[in-house]
Amino acid sequence: MSGNKSTEKSAALLKGAFREYYFKYSKLLEIPEHLEQREFGYMPFGSGMIRHLSFRNRGDILATLIRDVPADVYCSNAYYRFPTYPMPEKHWFGADLIFDIDAKDLHLPCELSHSYFICAKCSEVSRAKSEVCESCKSTSLNQTSIPCAKCIFALKKEVRRLIAVLTNDLGIEEKSVSVYFSGNNGFHIVVSDKSFNALDSVARSDVVSYLAGTNIMTESIGVRKSRDHSGNDFLIKFPKSGLSYGWRKVIADKLVIDQSSLVKLGNIVLRNGGYEGFKSELGKMAKTLGVRIDPQVTMDVHRIFRMPGTINSKSGLVKMRCDDLESFDPLDDACLLGSRDVEVKTKISSQINFKLKGQSFRIREKILKLPLFVAVYLICKGLAEVTN
Amino acid sequence: MPVRHYFSCHQVLSIKIGTGDLAKYPFLNDASDYVRETQFDFQEFNRPEMNHIIDRAAERLEREIAKGLPDEKLDKYEIEILTFLVTLIMVKSIGTEPILKKHALFEAMRAEKFLTEDLMREKSEQKKRLLLSTIFKELFKVNVDISENDNRLFKVKITDYLMRASHFHEQDWKLINRLVHNGYVYLDADETVRLIRSELSELIYNKVKSMTLSTLPEAIKTKVNELSIKFAPHQQYRRYKSQDYPPCVKHALEVMNKGENLPHSARLMLATYMLAIGKSIEEIIMLFHNAPDYNEKVTKYQIEHLAGLRGSGTKYSVPSCQKLLNQNLCFATEECNGITNPVQFGRPPMLKGQSSSP
Repeated sequence: MSGNKSTEKSAALLKGAFREYYFKYSKLLEIPEHLEQREFGYMPFGSGMIRHLSFRNRGDILATLIRDVPADVYCSNAYYRFPTYPMPEKHWFGADLIFDIDAKDLHLPCELSHSYFICAKCSEVSRAKSEVCESCKSTSLNQTSIPCAKCIFALKKEVRRLIAVLTNDLGIEEKSVSVYFSGNNGFHIVVSDKSFNALDSVARSDVVSYLAGTNIMTESIGVRKSRDHSGNDFLIKFPKSGLSYGWRKVIADKLVIDQSSLVKLGNIVLRNGGYEGFKSELGKMAKTLGVRIDPQVTMDVHRIFRMPGTINSKSGLVKMRCDDLESFDPLDDACLLGSRDVEVKTKISSQINFKLKGQSFRIREKILKLPLFVAVYLICKGLAEVTN
Repeated sequence: MPVRHYFSCHQVLSIKIGTGDLAKYPFLNDASDYVRETQFDFQEFNRPEMNHIIDRAAERLEREIAKGLPDEKLDKYEIEILTFLVTLIMVKSIGTEPILKKHALFEAMRAEKFLTEDLMREKSEQKKRLLLSTIFKELFKVNVDISENDNRLFKVKITDYLMRASHFHEQDWKLINRLVHNGYVYLDADETVRLIRSELSELIYNKVKSMTLSTLPEAIKTKVNELSIKFAPHQQYRRYKSQDYPPCVKHALEVMNKGENLPHSARLMLATYMLAIGKSIEEIIMLFHNAPDYNEKVTKYQIEHLAGLRGSGTKYSVPSCQKLLNQNLCFATEECNGITNPVQFGRPPMLKGQSSSP
């Protein structure tokens, strides 16, 4: 944030609103298991991340949140013997298996229709996607998005797809899977099955590849590269372990084949132009059928991850547990700030439409009075500031 | 004779690990039980009838260290237990890491062969389960069971699989290329056994490391002295300057310099690269000298084959960067920028687009 008066006033408004939330909704703060083994970190308003912190109990955490009112609060998915030591000395015990499903990774067709591009230098907001800021010609532009109902529907669908693979293929019990709204534009999924805690980053990357559908080999469904001179560059030999489950079943169903479809699979390969063509087609198919997760989040075993029950400063919404994903409405259930009127100045020329707390907003005027939760939402999105 | 009983939650298994099994898997604690229970005195190795055991142990080590081949001969229990003990004593007395690492790897591969055969051929499911429980579960905490639908297949707990197989370089070990269902990965016998190779090797390595030797029986001492002289050329790692090579080749050389096992695909990359930059067959053979399973004859044959001097006469080209990436053998740095094949590394930009084969 730049140092001008409006920015300072906006930060003060956010701090006040966040503090009020931590007073009023302290019960929503989820204290992680093995608190003493977790590393905490937070981002104060207007400065860099403070990491390698440790708390003894809920009271300690709350006292810090109310006193310092950070913009964002994080807790490690990892367990350490010495959580406050520098990274190489922390002595890693293990880490929860975590997943991040973010709307930006879904590449939804509606994305551009509710995206805004904010210049990091002069804060000018533009609707059109561009390489440079029209006002100051800076090339540093940040994209912000006001998620729509379609985004939320698609995100929930992706969460359900992830849970299906975790439970059916990876054998994780549904009760060990917790789903959280990230507080902005996605969902976080945390697995509390202890047998996965010891997996290192390489093993987690293999889990990511499984979920996302990357690195699939044609051989795993029975198409082998043949070196003989029969005319074809492949031969069909189904794997001993069969095609009945997991990815093999997904692909077999898609191709409408089973372990007796020797000729049919051969014809499919030929239709794709032989081994290489089929390989490329299979790769594309698996990627399309895979779950769209952020690979970095799952592979990182030292990550500090947004803490449930804290406010996300990218939106002013709360990272919140979703016990019933179907009925959960992030733009209502996770919007918990007050409703007193605040005067703000919007930064865009065209109308913004969105829903919050069950109310529809169509904002056109430059300077206007808005309920606190709406004002905070727009300020966090970089689309408004408190009037000077 | 030592007897072990195994219990499951459902029933008491009347079946026991027999001496036939212990002959194949002497690293099970029963080897030391044997010494303890028979009150075997190490000075007994000086008796003439023990010469056979000492010679057998020395032959096994020579085969492993000098020829790069595992010893797959199997004799009766007492002979195998004592041969195993003597080889450990000999390796400990020689006292160098390269010899110890090679022996540990070959001893693991020997056990791997017997275990695969047992799991494939054994008709009794109870007996198979006993092996799975004794070796996989008790020694290495790997949960394996026989598949419900096909008793030729084994199901391994997914986390046990990932902890091991995710570190293998070959693409077919990736979880996505396996049959995965309800928390288990389904494998055949040799794949299941391959999962624990490095742990078997580590077990032997640690057994030698933790041994304390008092006075060696004279007969073993004499043999150790002979072996030390024979193995002298194998005891030093050769180090190769690697800073000018592309990072993938550099990585392979570093692994080799540490005396660690390099996957087949990485060996192929290393050999074809060295051929491509004009190294002689002899120079390339020397590069593989540190491999734990080094065998000069086999290495020479394989390199000559890659060079097109044998077989169909086809000269193998260096795998492309894309292929190496898929095989997890790519360790690209900024200096790789723009190249599509490792042989282009370090060439002036205008030459980078040119064919990879010289």
